[in-house]
Amino acid sequence: MEEYYLICEDSLEGIFTGIYDAYLKKKPHGQIHIILGEDENYRLFATYENCLPDEKKTASVARTIVREFGQEAYLSICRALASREADKGEAVYKTIVTGFSMRNRKELMGNLANPYIHRVFELARFTANEAHYHVEFLRFKELENGILYAVIGPKNNVLTFITPHFADRLPLENFVIYDKIREIYAVHPAKKDWYLVYGDETMEPQERIFSQGERMYGELFSCFFHTIAIKERVNPGLQRNMLPIRYREYMTEFQ
Amino acid sequence: MESGLIVGTGKRMSLGEKLRILTDAAKYDVSCSSSGVGRKGDGTGIGNTLAAGICHSFGADGRCISLLKILFTNECIYDCKYCLNRKSNDVPRASFTPDEICELTIQFYRRNYIEGLFLSSGILYSPTYTMELIYEAVYKLRTLYRFQGYIHVKAIPGADPDLVRRMGLLADRMSVNLELPTAEGLKRLAPNKHRKNILSPMRQIQQGITQNKNEITVYKHAPSFVPAGQSTQMIVGATPESDYQIMMVAESLYQKFELKRVYYSAFVSVNEDKDLPALPGGPPLLREHRLYQADWLLRFYGFEAGELLSEAKPNFNVLLDPKADWALRHLEQFPVEINRADYRSILRVPGIGVKSAQRIVRARRNGNLSFGDLKKIGVTLKRALYFITCNGKMMYPTKLEEDYITRNLIDKKEKLPFDRDGMTYRQLSLFDDCHLEQWKS
Repeated sequence: MEEYYLICEDSLEGIFTGIYDAYLKKKPHGQIHIILGEDENYRLFATYENCLPDEKKTASVARTIVREFGQEAYLSICRALASREADKGEAVYKTIVTGFSMRNRKELMGNLANPYIHRVFELARFTANEAHYHVEFLRFKELENGILYAVIGPKNNVLTFITPHFADRLPLENFVIYDKIREIYAVHPAKKDWYLVYGDETMEPQERIFSQGERMYGELFSCFFHTIAIKERVNPGLQRNMLPIRYREYMTEFQ
Repeated sequence: MESGLIVGTGKRMSLGEKLRILTDAAKYDVSCSSSGVGRKGDGTGIGNTLAAGICHSFGADGRCISLLKILFTNECIYDCKYCLNRKSNDVPRASFTPDEICELTIQFYRRNYIEGLFLSSGILYSPTYTMELIYEAVYKLRTLYRFQGYIHVKAIPGADPDLVRRMGLLADRMSVNLELPTAEGLKRLAPNKHRKNILSPMRQIQQGITQNKNEITVYKHAPSFVPAGQSTQMIVGATPESDYQIMMVAESLYQKFELKRVYYSAFVSVNEDKDLPALPGGPPLLREHRLYQADWLLRFYGFEAGELLSEAKPNFNVLLDPKADWALRHLEQFPVEINRADYRSILRVPGIGVKSAQRIVRARRNGNLSFGDLKKIGVTLKRALYFITCNGKMMYPTKLEEDYITRNLIDKKEKLPFDRDGMTYRQLSLFDDCHLEQWKS
């Protein structure tokens, strides 16, 4: 029995294109797999194919998911695809396949007994949780020219999930959020729509000069942070549960 | 007015010093949630709110830091025995100006340090005068600075009702502190406060909220009044009330005053006073924890206070959480069949929370669930396995017997009071001086 491996680019477009191509094959879905990048070991009796991201195919798959499975499932799938895990493409592909065999397709993400759907649920939850942590713990610093600048180092690609929140919250501010792991910037000019910039070195100020007020307000907040704790109740374990240590290197009050 | 406020301090205090004093004075207030209202920014100012609320940091005590929680002033004409800021205490006093509060809030907010402002105050001159000051600060923040984030304000008992009404149109949440669960306790520890004065603004806010809801159904753009609801807090362990009394008070607050939240605050001894209990073991944190667990059962799990406790059993079991404790006393209602039971009975199983119960009800539409599926869904099987069956079978052959299950359910991770009140065992040794040094001095 021949197996097909579709090698996709690690992005939403890449994987959606892969799913489109998988359906084009008209072979049993059990024989088709989606992988990201080259396999370490090539298998016998397997055909490897490269999929190039295609805008039309992506849009078609996205449309189908929203139409058949609803907005909730679409959002979960988008979140799952922002994950750092390598099996995300396969999980999403098989979730969609399972979805088409279900009687009530709008209930797709409720079917947690299915291993692929559960995996998508898990990945989506991880991304959503991490995005929420960043909404909580991200810290802006004011540069000399008044721009607010934040650095994050997330495990999953959460930038597109958090920027709308800040754009709604700070419409009159110029701000930049920099994902230093993936080298992506989210740029929000005051009163305008935000956009992404990929790995442009010129964006990164060599030596970031912070404004006068920055130091003062940073210190005031640190003072507030340390004073607000009740010493009779000190509980570092609880603090660590609620605020994982890996976020602290980016946070003003821990610097 | 500014010079009038800092009278007695001699020289002008720096902003940092004020912030330190007025944060320190505000830290015993429990509520710090920023939840209850979802509001998009309108694009002309700064801020929005999320219905679920956002915590921005967690202090060394593990409590969430969501709002800039400060007092307007820590000067106070009252002499409540449990309070750090009482009149008879010799502590440094400070007051903010409305502009300082606005500037701090905005600058903290745009750096994503905080979700909004929590403004409370000691009583300066009179409740109405103090409320005016708070109103002025919040009014400035909302109109001049166009701040659309979360604002939580204390309604000060005894303040002019009209002022409370106007305040409610600016704030997202208001709260009146109940302080102590019963009127007798209040009389003993807070001689200047009266139960009636506390309950009347609470009732006023409740009626305002109800009325406002009706207005909004007719006029969509009517200004909203305290859209995130009101909350209150009471101190636990300063007066001799039982858990049963406290839960009954909380239940009636939820039912009769439609509060969003009741907070319980383990009494922290900051003053020496003959009317206050000595707490050698620190604040009663485990008791507070049990009260919160029970509070959740009231609000999200469909329990009633009378089911959890009674006159005959007035306090929570120290060793078990209230839900497990209830289940063990009602073993006749178990085991529950996961694939068939209704949502409410599933919710009552220890180890199954609201989310898991919802997921179970959804997932079982696509076929029978097994124990493996339950684990994936997020059920704590370690606790639930004694109370459930899947397709008519239990996970392991277990006895449905109170003592046996109790032994297995006790969670060693909870800070059980074994080492607090002499229940520890320690090997005596010759060289152990048993803190003799301490006794000598």
